[in-house]
Amino acid sequence: MTAVHQFVPALLPRDATGDHTLALRDTFRAAGWESDIYVEAAHDELQHEATYFEKYPGRARPGDILLYQLGTSSPVAEFLLDRSEPLVLDYHNVTPASFYVGWEDHTTAKVTLAHEQVVSLAPRAVLGIADSAFNARELAALGCPATEVVPILVDLESEGGSADPRELARLAARHGEATVLLFVGRISPNKGHERLIETLWVYRHLYDPDARLHLVGPAVTPDYAAAVFDFADELGLAGAVHHGEGLSAGQLTAWYEDADIFVCLSRHEGFCIPLLEAMQAGTPIVAFDAGAVGETLGDAGILLPTTRPATVAAAVDRVRRDSDLARNLERWGRRRLDDFSPELTRQRFVEVLGRVADQVRVVA
Amino acid sequence: MTPDAPGPAEGAEAESNADVAGRIRYLDEVMAEIDAEVRRRRASGDLPAGLEAELDELFLEFSPVGLQGRARLRETLSLVDGSAYVDIAVPTESNKMVGSYIKGSIRKGLGWYMNFIVAQIVKFAWSVSRMFHVVVDHIEVLEASMETHRSPDLPADVVPAADPGSAWWAKSAVEALTGVTDRVLVGDCGDGSLVAALVAVGVDAYGVDPSDLVLEPALDRGLDVRAEGILDHLGVVAAEALGAMVLTGSLQWLRPNEREHLVDLVSSRLVVGGVLVLHSTTPEGWASSASTVVRDLAPGRPLHAETWAHLLAARGFAVSAPEWGGADRRLARVGNGSADADSVNAAIDTINDLLLGPTEYLVVATRER
Repeated sequence: MTAVHQFVPALLPRDATGDHTLALRDTFRAAGWESDIYVEAAHDELQHEATYFEKYPGRARPGDILLYQLGTSSPVAEFLLDRSEPLVLDYHNVTPASFYVGWEDHTTAKVTLAHEQVVSLAPRAVLGIADSAFNARELAALGCPATEVVPILVDLESEGGSADPRELARLAARHGEATVLLFVGRISPNKGHERLIETLWVYRHLYDPDARLHLVGPAVTPDYAAAVFDFADELGLAGAVHHGEGLSAGQLTAWYEDADIFVCLSRHEGFCIPLLEAMQAGTPIVAFDAGAVGETLGDAGILLPTTRPATVAAAVDRVRRDSDLARNLERWGRRRLDDFSPELTRQRFVEVLGRVADQVRVVA
Repeated sequence: MTPDAPGPAEGAEAESNADVAGRIRYLDEVMAEIDAEVRRRRASGDLPAGLEAELDELFLEFSPVGLQGRARLRETLSLVDGSAYVDIAVPTESNKMVGSYIKGSIRKGLGWYMNFIVAQIVKFAWSVSRMFHVVVDHIEVLEASMETHRSPDLPADVVPAADPGSAWWAKSAVEALTGVTDRVLVGDCGDGSLVAALVAVGVDAYGVDPSDLVLEPALDRGLDVRAEGILDHLGVVAAEALGAMVLTGSLQWLRPNEREHLVDLVSSRLVVGGVLVLHSTTPEGWASSASTVVRDLAPGRPLHAETWAHLLAARGFAVSAPEWGGADRRLARVGNGSADADSVNAAIDTINDLLLGPTEYLVVATRER
């Protein structure tokens, strides 16, 4: 019997990698395969879904395939390097350390270690599965012998659900008719929040003096987050920047639906799930073409070659003024979502890992 | 144009290639309109030059590595000063009375030892701090000294108005830049005549000139021109953002350090394969044609074409042979009727070569790396 066991540094609820890992486990089991999840740590809510990775040697069986969810540094990587089972990487990308230099030493060290682990694991793997062609190229450049592009498994309909009406009403009451720009993502130096603040300043200066910027996401780099909000204060935008954190699925959907435009000026993305969430909510997208953003967005948004605030502000204004354009972007966004449907992605994972299992059987 | 692409809800099974191509064309048009809007805002003064760079610099002030130059030195120095003192008065508070007593006893018992060690640490730290103060003081003296050696800027009112579009080299410049698809910058664009000539052949050209007065005709014609010096402007242009550049005018009297800086900026702002068109007066032409005031007050002097070729080749440019032009003041050779014709012509050739050659040249260079 085919057995594909997943290893993940941390299994967390309401987390993209955690949801992806659990959904994959269910997919593999539905295909008639054995599949368990091994972790370095698991959230209390998910303890029953996982086993500590140190226990795997006692449960190992001939023919096992090990699938590592790789997106951060972990002792799990060192553990897998010493295992003899066929290893498949599911690569979600590691943010380059250069983004954190000067901001946060421990994160710089952590992502540097993660990169070193990718360098060690890539040639050791029999296959690298990447969320995007951008990630696949990175794996191939590090010596991964074969790569396949399969998107991250994300079921927006069941996860997002409908917008929380109270949250929608609360948001609408705060800003009235003013233009609302939205970005969703952790507050971290690679995400370009300062450029969003600059864009808001220029947009208010040139187009809509009441415009607001809504930022959703945890302040995972506190010095950077403090600098971003102090910067907004300095520019007189304190009242125009609204930060949301720890939102429920319904509240998050409300923030997407409330916004006029989703603006992503991130400088490094391995996939960018918030683009799909914006498409799902029907929010037009203006995004900087960095990393995998272009291939995830396709032609379902305005893809900018620069993060210069004047250009971003002009793009936002163009979408805001042109209702035909906004409607088209919304429609093309919903169509683009079909390319990332959970059914297709599940099939692709089973197909790709099924081939690995066949090869393992032939070798055995 | 707004393509009427059917969405999934409308029951379309699959898009045709024509649908996709139409959508891509439509988004390209939207992007072009966005670019045009930015250019219009810049030209109208709504977006002052350097505004975006100022915003970036302002943000840097909030970053841990943000302070620049002297302020950063002094700020860092104050941190060193603040850290140079080691306090040996260990806190002895405790939730339990016995805890405070024990902590106090340890402090008292080890006080003589800690004093001995800390005195040496503090002495070392203050020596280091003192050394940094000496270094910073020395740097500030050097900066002040350099400031006294700075030559004044050339007064704008003594510089003749530029009209590059009707100059002898304009045709060659337009030919060299026709077909360039990325943005093309014309430095010291004057009345915008060369910018207009480039736009007329489909080039996405814009110009800068330090004098806003000379730009008025260009603004009246709706051209994208900005009142900025070439160095200031290139300082805020993104790396590899330009497909080509035209340099003329003030290029000739830049200070040596400014010239070096300009060459660095040119080589970083042009894309690989980008074209530089450089027009200058020859040193001989400068001596004979520039006004006395300009010659006396200009901080720098024009270079020979060969020198520009050398500087650009060192930065990875392939440089074409110069095209000579401008006023030709060369003496005519005498006929062969005279017995002394050969020696007279040899003397005329020497004078022509040394003093009376072409007064201007045009160099076209392509960035290769």
